[in-house]
Amino acid sequence: MSVATEEKKEQRGSALREFWQNLKSTPKSFLDTAFRGGAPRTDRTRSTFVFGNVFFHLHSVRTHRWSLRWTTTWGLGIATFAAFLITLITGVLLMFYYKPSPDVAYQSIKDIHFVVPTGRFMRNIHRWAGNVMVITVILHMARAFYTAAYRKPRQFNWLMGMALLVVTLGLSFTGYLLPWDQLAYWAITIGANIAASPQEITNALGITQHFDPGGMQRLILLGSDTVGPEALIRFYLLHVMILPLVLALIVAVHFWRVRKDGGLARPADADRRLGPAKDTYPIFTEQPKKTYQLAAIVRGRTPAVGNGPEGTVPSMPHLFYAELAVLMLTMLICVALALIADAPLKELANPGVPENPAKAPWYFLGLQELVSFSAFMGGIGIPAIVLLGLGLIPYLDREAAGTGEWFGGPGGKKLAWRSLWFGLGAVLIIESFVIRFGWLREWFPHIPQLVITAINPGTLLTLAYGAYSVWCVKKYNSTRAGAMALFTCFLCGFLVLTVIGTYFRGPNWVFYWSPADWPGH
Amino acid sequence: MSKNKYLLLISSLGVLLLLVAAAVQENFLREWRRVQAGGRNEEGAIAVQLRQVVNPGLKTSDRCVSCHVTMAPGESTVTGSKLLTAHKPVVHDPSEWGCTVCHAGQGQATDRADAHGDVHFWPDPMIEPRFSQAGCGTCHAPLGVPEEERLARARNTFARLDCYACHKVDGRGGMTRPDGGGMEGPDLSRAGINDYDHDWYAKHLQQHQQATTGPWRNSFAAVNDLDRALLADYLATTMAAPKLIEAKAVFNSTGCLGCHKVSGVGGDEGMDLTREGEKDPGQINFAHLAGGHTVENWMAEHFRSPVSVVVGSQMPSLGLSDREVDLLTMYMRSLRRKDLPASFTPKDRVRATRFGEREFAGDGATLFGTFCTGCHGGNGVGRRSPGMPSFPAIASPDLLGRVSDDFLTENITKGRPGRRMPAWGELTGGLKPEEIRKIVVYLREIGAAYQPDGKPVRWIKADPEQGKKLFASICSGCHGSQGQGIEGPALNNKVLLATATDSYFVQTIGQGRRGTAMLGFLEPHPSRPTLSQAEIESIVAFLRTWERGKK
Repeated sequence: MSVATEEKKEQRGSALREFWQNLKSTPKSFLDTAFRGGAPRTDRTRSTFVFGNVFFHLHSVRTHRWSLRWTTTWGLGIATFAAFLITLITGVLLMFYYKPSPDVAYQSIKDIHFVVPTGRFMRNIHRWAGNVMVITVILHMARAFYTAAYRKPRQFNWLMGMALLVVTLGLSFTGYLLPWDQLAYWAITIGANIAASPQEITNALGITQHFDPGGMQRLILLGSDTVGPEALIRFYLLHVMILPLVLALIVAVHFWRVRKDGGLARPADADRRLGPAKDTYPIFTEQPKKTYQLAAIVRGRTPAVGNGPEGTVPSMPHLFYAELAVLMLTMLICVALALIADAPLKELANPGVPENPAKAPWYFLGLQELVSFSAFMGGIGIPAIVLLGLGLIPYLDREAAGTGEWFGGPGGKKLAWRSLWFGLGAVLIIESFVIRFGWLREWFPHIPQLVITAINPGTLLTLAYGAYSVWCVKKYNSTRAGAMALFTCFLCGFLVLTVIGTYFRGPNWVFYWSPADWPGH
Repeated sequence: MSKNKYLLLISSLGVLLLLVAAAVQENFLREWRRVQAGGRNEEGAIAVQLRQVVNPGLKTSDRCVSCHVTMAPGESTVTGSKLLTAHKPVVHDPSEWGCTVCHAGQGQATDRADAHGDVHFWPDPMIEPRFSQAGCGTCHAPLGVPEEERLARARNTFARLDCYACHKVDGRGGMTRPDGGGMEGPDLSRAGINDYDHDWYAKHLQQHQQATTGPWRNSFAAVNDLDRALLADYLATTMAAPKLIEAKAVFNSTGCLGCHKVSGVGGDEGMDLTREGEKDPGQINFAHLAGGHTVENWMAEHFRSPVSVVVGSQMPSLGLSDREVDLLTMYMRSLRRKDLPASFTPKDRVRATRFGEREFAGDGATLFGTFCTGCHGGNGVGRRSPGMPSFPAIASPDLLGRVSDDFLTENITKGRPGRRMPAWGELTGGLKPEEIRKIVVYLREIGAAYQPDGKPVRWIKADPEQGKKLFASICSGCHGSQGQGIEGPALNNKVLLATATDSYFVQTIGQGRRGTAMLGFLEPHPSRPTLSQAEIESIVAFLRTWERGKK
């Protein structure tokens, strides 16, 4: 009896001791459980750190040194993703105060601007990060193109990237309406009219009453004939729910494919170009615990096969430093811009007082410039041609020379310069001509609309770019050369048309050298 | 690889630095924080926090009191800088009504420039402080305001009869004086909107007769009918905004309603002015404006010379004095409308909008001043404005002596089709027959009586063919080849031809009309031919052909 009691006492005492020991070691064991495989001090634990972490395991455990050169990517993809994260966080914060109803939307933005603690700052960051995202996603695409990174096996990921470009523009566009001020209201009205541009064809054919795809698109976009409460709730839902989810989904695929398609594109002789690594880590200091049987079922070459591990460094910490640095840099840029310039907020939306000029968001002003020539071609025709052309590039260019190199392939940098001059020249000449002399409608007022739809500055420009690209294919005897010519011309056209639409178009879309010359200002 | 590490370090430090800067800006550098930091009340320093006046009925949430703390609810004792002073006593306590309902501006804003509305894209900037009383017009419709001269007479009457001995109006009077005169009678500052006892005179007189000493005996005396009418006019206009009333009196002497509508009353020639005081500076063309780009300055310059501010304006140059320009600008700023819930709509506005009560006094002089002087000039002397046909001098004895009251009534009622004179009797928002009659009476007062020559209405039996030739060579230069009027009035006008007597035409052609370009053709003149009586009659016969020809 007494022995049993004694034992019990002892047991009790030991449990208490154990409890105390466990409590003391809790922080350490918490960290052990949080980071499977322990602190990333050896190459092995560094590897575990990467593949044992839900957020990091999309990365390869080792990263090629070529991918870490600043000039390889300029961090543009990560910058785009960083901008997305920033808009996501600031956007969720803004949702606490924003009310998506025409009666109070504008007032709630005023409250965010003037009263909500840090509200103005958050809104500014959100707005700037949104713009940064649009810019970086375009630059990222240019980077992928000029380094010929879309080639096999990355063709599909190029398409995913294009989808992300479209979704990014959609996110920015849907966010534009939410403040419900004059700027937003009329920009969305213009945007919706661009969606209705097939009506130019159906009107010319006289079949709009029976078949009206343009009106249908507009109706789907706005939920009504004009921009109103229905449009606002639609845009809100798209902006805060549907498009972010779609974007996250495609981003996941995009990242996954980057990894599975063998990391970032690099020249075949990247290792030789980089030379021996200076601070080579001892490779695989310990026997890896994991077997590589899984690798057998991965299609194609695994990244490591045929490449010496000396070309790679552990992703932890080298890649993560780089990625984190780009993230912080993006944040720095957005925060700095937010402190310098407030997000615009004009007067309350007034359907009775149209803005003149009413302008779409800046990235659509190139389109608006084309729409001013022909609604159908600017709104549907030419964008469709451009998207189709971009999507076809990886499937037409099956060459190998120059992959992973800036301006790689036949022609090289010289072709890029030549295309730049041609692209700028063509768009500037055509624009100057139209601004100086007008177009068919001014010369022949009764000309059928279909003629103008077919023959207008936009289609002529597209034709010129196309002809030049075909010429380049022939001259350099290379599809890549043609693609480079076309893509460069597309960037030039986009840039020049956007600048003209943004800075040189005044009331009634008339050309002015400066807003100071606008009548009435 | 280590350069990425440094990039991370530098950009992280940069972000940290900017966040600190943002925090400092947010928490220390905002203007209202600095203003409130200097604020004291009887318990010491006041709490530094955002403050606002919310009035759900008026749909205002005015954060102006974040700087003007003394006007916030329960903070009337706060003192400190110049901004921290109490509002001067007004009926509408700002701590309850908020600020923007009267002063305009952007109530939601918390920065000075934004709040005062001196920023791009804020459509309703603050009314200039010197025009503050214009804010009353947001809700109130000052009724029964006479023209300027009558208002001055009415105000003088109130002072001359020493009503100030007992009654306080706008802070003046109503004091017991050392000489024993005067006492504290009811404050009449807002008698016009709160209504007053219309039997006051009988009661005053009774008190006066009963009293043997004191103010009732010494300060009051019998008032004659004319003075009583003037006092009634004066009291009708009291609403604690004397400057606004003065401004409206100038408006009612300038004839603006002849072309413009306010609240559905007035002509259709010009813009509707009902909401002119809410003019959005963003929609104003400041290109041709000298001076500041404010709504007030635009209005003032526009009054001075309409056509130089608005290219192609059809508004005549009115030759206004600086004082008149200021007051008219103030009145324009007062033409504001807020969608008010019924409980906030003042009686005067209800009387004007629901019961159609006039916003101007009903006497002939005011009616003439409100509707006619814009074109026909003060006292009907006519107006010449560059680039426009001259407006006839209707008070000229040469006109009034030759036409009957029926002629005047008919011409005002039916207007002059094709010319700028509208048909006042038929126009929506025009004049009532009673008002037209009063204007005719007033014209007779300032002009001359009808001196009929006893002839029938139509007595001429001359040859229109001869008249046609004469008209083409002599008259058409001013009156147009078809009599459509160029510089001179249109003569093919149906209303004119239907109402004018033959004698009127003969006398006007023969003797001319003083104050206009029309000189008598019977008298020799170096620059134009002389006509005989027979020739004049033939011209009149020719004029009559238009009556039959063009219907």
